Amino acid sequence: MDRIDQLFNQYANRSSNLIDPEGIEKLCSNLDVSHTDIRILMLAWKMKAEKQGYFTNEEWRRGLKALRADTLNKLKKALPELEKEVRRPTNFADFYAYAFNYCLTEEKQKSIDIETICQLLEIVMGSTFRAQVDYFVEYLKIQNDYKVINMDQWMGLYRFCNEISFPDMGNYNPELAWPLILDNFVEWIAEKQA
Amino acid sequence: MSNQKKRNFQIEAFKHRVVVDPKYADKTWQILERAIHQIYNQDASGLSFEELYRNAYNMVLHKFGEKLYTGFIVTMTAHLKEKSKLIEAAQGGSFLEELNKKWNDHNKALEMIRDILMYMDRTYIESTKKTHVHPMGLSLWRDNVVHFTKIHTRLLNTLLDLVQKERTGEVIDRGLMRSVIKMFMDLGESVYQEDFEKPFLDASSEFYKVESQEFIESCDCGDYLKKAEKRLTEEIDRVAHYLDPKSEEKITSVVEKEMIANHMQRLVHMDNSGLVYMLLHDKYEDLGRMYNLFRRVTNGLLTVRDVMTSHLREMGKQLVTDPEKSKDPVEFVQRLLDERDKYDKVISTAFGNDKTFQNALNSSFEYFINLNARSPEFISLFVDDKLRKGIKGIVDVDVEVILDKVMMLFRYLQEKDVFEKYYKQHLAKRLLSGKTVSDDAERSLIVKLKTECGYQFTSKLEGMFTDMKTSEDTMRGFYGSHPELSEGPTLIVQVLTTGSWPTQPAVPCNLPAEVSVLCEKFRSYYLGTHTGRRLTWQTNMGTADIKAVFGKGQKHELNVSTFQMCVLMLFNNADRLSYKEIEQATEIPASDLKRCLQSLACVKGKNVIKKEPMSKDIGEEDSFYVNEKFTSKFYKVKIGTVVAQKETEPEKQETRQRVEEDRKPQIEAAIVRIMKSRKILDHNNIIAEVTKQLQPRFLANPTEIKKRIESLIERDFLERDSTDRKLYRYLA
Repeated sequence: MDRIDQLFNQYANRSSNLIDPEGIEKLCSNLDVSHTDIRILMLAWKMKAEKQGYFTNEEWRRGLKALRADTLNKLKKALPELEKEVRRPTNFADFYAYAFNYCLTEEKQKSIDIETICQLLEIVMGSTFRAQVDYFVEYLKIQNDYKVINMDQWMGLYRFCNEISFPDMGNYNPELAWPLILDNFVEWIAEKQA
Repeated sequence: MSNQKKRNFQIEAFKHRVVVDPKYADKTWQILERAIHQIYNQDASGLSFEELYRNAYNMVLHKFGEKLYTGFIVTMTAHLKEKSKLIEAAQGGSFLEELNKKWNDHNKALEMIRDILMYMDRTYIESTKKTHVHPMGLSLWRDNVVHFTKIHTRLLNTLLDLVQKERTGEVIDRGLMRSVIKMFMDLGESVYQEDFEKPFLDASSEFYKVESQEFIESCDCGDYLKKAEKRLTEEIDRVAHYLDPKSEEKITSVVEKEMIANHMQRLVHMDNSGLVYMLLHDKYEDLGRMYNLFRRVTNGLLTVRDVMTSHLREMGKQLVTDPEKSKDPVEFVQRLLDERDKYDKVISTAFGNDKTFQNALNSSFEYFINLNARSPEFISLFVDDKLRKGIKGIVDVDVEVILDKVMMLFRYLQEKDVFEKYYKQHLAKRLLSGKTVSDDAERSLIVKLKTECGYQFTSKLEGMFTDMKTSEDTMRGFYGSHPELSEGPTLIVQVLTTGSWPTQPAVPCNLPAEVSVLCEKFRSYYLGTHTGRRLTWQTNMGTADIKAVFGKGQKHELNVSTFQMCVLMLFNNADRLSYKEIEQATEIPASDLKRCLQSLACVKGKNVIKKEPMSKDIGEEDSFYVNEKFTSKFYKVKIGTVVAQKETEPEKQETRQRVEEDRKPQIEAAIVRIMKSRKILDHNNIIAEVTKQLQPRFLANPTEIKKRIESLIERDFLERDSTDRKLYRYLA
């Protein structure tokens, strides 16, 4: 317990008693991980961290205890296991949804702006669904219908990547309950291919 | 009596000595045989029926029934063989006559013979279950005469030739035909069918196959149908005169098949004479004939209906998508009404008001009327035209008729909510400019719309009428409490409840002093009795009557819009004004001001103002002065500009946008209503149900519905089911 707290203090801001973005950056460089790496997000998930860019003492404790890590080294070593755990299909959907919520900064906020979404997509899905992410990001940037993305659309995209064969999309049916933005996305791709 | 020796006196039964004469039977038979000969030779007068009967009776009684029966058959057969030789020998036309005659003879003879042999018929034949005399006589005739090879084919061919002759216009002996054909019928139904009817039908089929081919190559549709009808009538007539009634259905089937069914498509599609030609030229008689003939064959009416439907759709499509025709909305709608009347008349006159055709007409109209997105607007303009100019000189009943016809067109509209929007705008203009000629007609139409669409559709419209009425009362109250105002300009105010009337933004405008004073007085009067309300003057919708005196003393009363009044009143205090000065003084926005000035200065016959320079358009450097030389033959001159017109392109876009905006909450309300009662529903079903619910008002777009669903999900009214992504769940 003590060692975990000690580790916490190494990165926490004295006055707020939180690890703030600066501290996280420091942690990342110590872990040899880029701060846009998905593993940091996974760590946040494991901690059930609520606010993007900050870790509270409680959250820190929760995460490290679950990872059985009380030193930097152990933490570093725990990361691959953590990744495996998160990537299990049962967990990934939860993680994916968590990633979205993690980016909501204002109180009543329900949607995320396009630019942030693009970055988030890159982090979360970039390694597993490269093509879909690239296409979708391109589409998001040129379309005009939506300026923000909500949770329903976000989750829809996850289903899309998992269920629909790409890039032929032969099994996609626009008459089903896919979010409209995906109907439009599919149409846009079809036009490009024609 | 003395006691004499009793002699036995027995009365013995009379014992006729049984003639066990072996020749008895032969002798008796010979008598009968001879008699049969005589009968056949028409020499029966000398015979005694009683004697012959008794002889036959005796033979049967003495157990010689078989001999009698066999003898009868043999004798008759021999006679018939002889007769058939005679018949066969007959030449040409007399062949049939001979046959007929011999047949009649045979029947008479047979009757007599049957009477003579009646005892045998009832006893010997009964018990031995042999064929009775009369049927036997017929069979013998059949076998020995009709089926005699030398007669059989010849007989049939003769009959068929005669039918053929009759069909080509010759007169034949129908009595003889009837008699001979009846012979077939008497010989039994199977004989009739096998030996006559079937070959007759086959020959007829061939005949009509050839004839119909000739006709179709040489006649136009109308003529062909006349000929076909004639042939049908002839065949029915033929049956009535000399065939078995049961043949009627069979022969008419043949004619129907060969003449109609086999050429249906070609007839209907014939250039310059087929169905489309007939429809275009109101050929009621031909159409009626086609209907009556085609209904006899399978898919006949279906064919007619299909061609009519595609013609209507094509014609209608051209009508509504032709830009020329859309120039004048009233013309456009009138044309639609005329077309509908035309086809209605066709269906009632020629197609017996057939419901399936009525439906085809309705579905076609529904199809093409909605191809033009401006149809709702145009129909409203048409109604506006009729209700504004009045249907002078036309009786109330006729007004009803016109409105009912308009309602028919209204029913075809898919976007009834668009119609509502325009109707409201046009009604507002009519009411406010006092241009509605018949209040009753207006109300009548509202009632019809209410019946069609429900209370909600018309409640706002009725609100408009109420406001007009209330305003009248308010004006009375106003002048009642301000008797000092009876001198000076008269103000008439209509107070419009926002929400009932089409929304218009209030336009700024500086009213002339004497007017604005009055307005203020009214405002305080009104707000005095209606606290909590807010009044906004709609200067862009008002009118004014101004009395003017021109240069040479010409007096006129000018009926102008409020804006025009403001501009004109300025000239009471200045002879000449620049555009900028007018703009400043009135504060009317530029586009409205320009339009206003244009109508005052640039319209021939109404130019009470003159403009420098004399160009067509209003420029911001222009200056204006009164046209002292203004003349008009009328005292009252109308220069107002508040008339309902076809919208310009940008106006149309704006209205369309408003309609789309209005639809969103309606779609959402429908979704919520449905989900509230169903709790869980899958995507396709929601789309279907929502579309169905909204169908009386407009055709909902599935993409739009999807958008609304997503919006409701975002606002936590609905959620997607976590396991089955096709389902939506209502969140209480």
